[in-house]
Amino acid sequence: MSVSRTVVISCAGMGKRLGIGTTKCLVDVDGIPLIIRTLRMLDDIDDVRIVVGYQAEKVIDVVNKYRRDINFVFNHDYKHNGTGASVSLAAQYANDYILTLDGDLLIHPDDMKYLLEQEDEFIGVTAPGTDNPVLTTVVDGYVTEFSRERGTFEWTGVSQFLSSRALTGDGHVYQLLEPGLPTKYLYIRTKEIDTMNDYENAVRWVLNGYSDIYLTRQ
Amino acid sequence: MSDHLFLFDLDSTITKQEILPTIAEEIGLGKQMRKLTEQAMYENMPFKQSFLSRVRLLEDIPVSQIDSRIAQIPVHEELVRFMRDNSQRCLIVTGNLDVWISGLMERIGMSNNVYCSKGIVRNDRLVDVVSVIDKSASVAQLTKDYVAVGDGSNDAQMISTAKVGIGFGGVRPIAPSVLEVATHAIYEEKKLCQFLERLL
Repeated sequence: MSVSRTVVISCAGMGKRLGIGTTKCLVDVDGIPLIIRTLRMLDDIDDVRIVVGYQAEKVIDVVNKYRRDINFVFNHDYKHNGTGASVSLAAQYANDYILTLDGDLLIHPDDMKYLLEQEDEFIGVTAPGTDNPVLTTVVDGYVTEFSRERGTFEWTGVSQFLSSRALTGDGHVYQLLEPGLPTKYLYIRTKEIDTMNDYENAVRWVLNGYSDIYLTRQ
Repeated sequence: MSDHLFLFDLDSTITKQEILPTIAEEIGLGKQMRKLTEQAMYENMPFKQSFLSRVRLLEDIPVSQIDSRIAQIPVHEELVRFMRDNSQRCLIVTGNLDVWISGLMERIGMSNNVYCSKGIVRNDRLVDVVSVIDKSASVAQLTKDYVAVGDGSNDAQMISTAKVGIGFGGVRPIAPSVLEVATHAIYEEKKLCQFLERLL
């Protein structure tokens, strides 16, 4: 029996650092836009909400060609707020649990299945790998702190929480989650696409069957 | 439970076809009607002028004939069910004429829940249009918060002032002016109804 869940994918930002002139969720990863790669793993999820802002119509067009039953949520103020605001907007009138995903995040398909099996709250973490990570301290299987300075694992933007928490805020998603700590941690394999270097790594990762082994050989 | 109202555009939101173009097509005026409708949709012509020009195209057709034809237009049945189930809280806000849509309103059970333009009929002919609805002025009179659903430029204002403003693209593309102000965009009837249930 799976929980009643709303999946929120934040795709409102501009992704300036990638420098491709399009919002990051539309970046082509081995012939398929990133957002479609994510949606393919969510075929069984009924309530998928995609938060759009920059190039909203372009995102909507691409998504609608794959799947028409998406609830698009507008973050019109995307230039001035963060993914926390996007999640707050989409979390209104949601199912019992909200699963947050970032539009610029590629998740290992096996790990997506694993996280969709989770029936309680969790915070998704991974091995540190990006330039300016938000780190998490994990104690006895629970995330106890988010920090820019210290921590063992990198926060991924993935989390699942009860919609009754009615989280609101304009900053980052992790800031919405801080009052609820400690929260169970879940290790997932991901590639965040922030820079051109991240992008090249992500493409290689996919081409290599979602394996990192080639990366360590370089 | 919330206590806000639910406002719905009629044409291409409740109906599965664009009303006036469908009628015009059947009497051989499809091309002219399509041009006028597109102009209105993309704001090259204010709604009132565009609507009146479309009305003029059909003014020689007996009102009863238009009314009975519009009454047969396919509708989004699930959405109509939602409106019927919550009729105390649902309103249709349409630019169309009362005398042309009365049969359709009766069929979907919303005769007493509609804000629309008004026409004068004599000998089964439309002789005048006494008011063309200004949707933003109509909704400005409401004293409760509301959810608004629509797709055209003339819905943008009511969608922008709604607590939850939904662009619905189930029939034709949502007007850019609606996308600019909507809180949500939904392209499938089932998904729209599911979300409306959440908003009750």
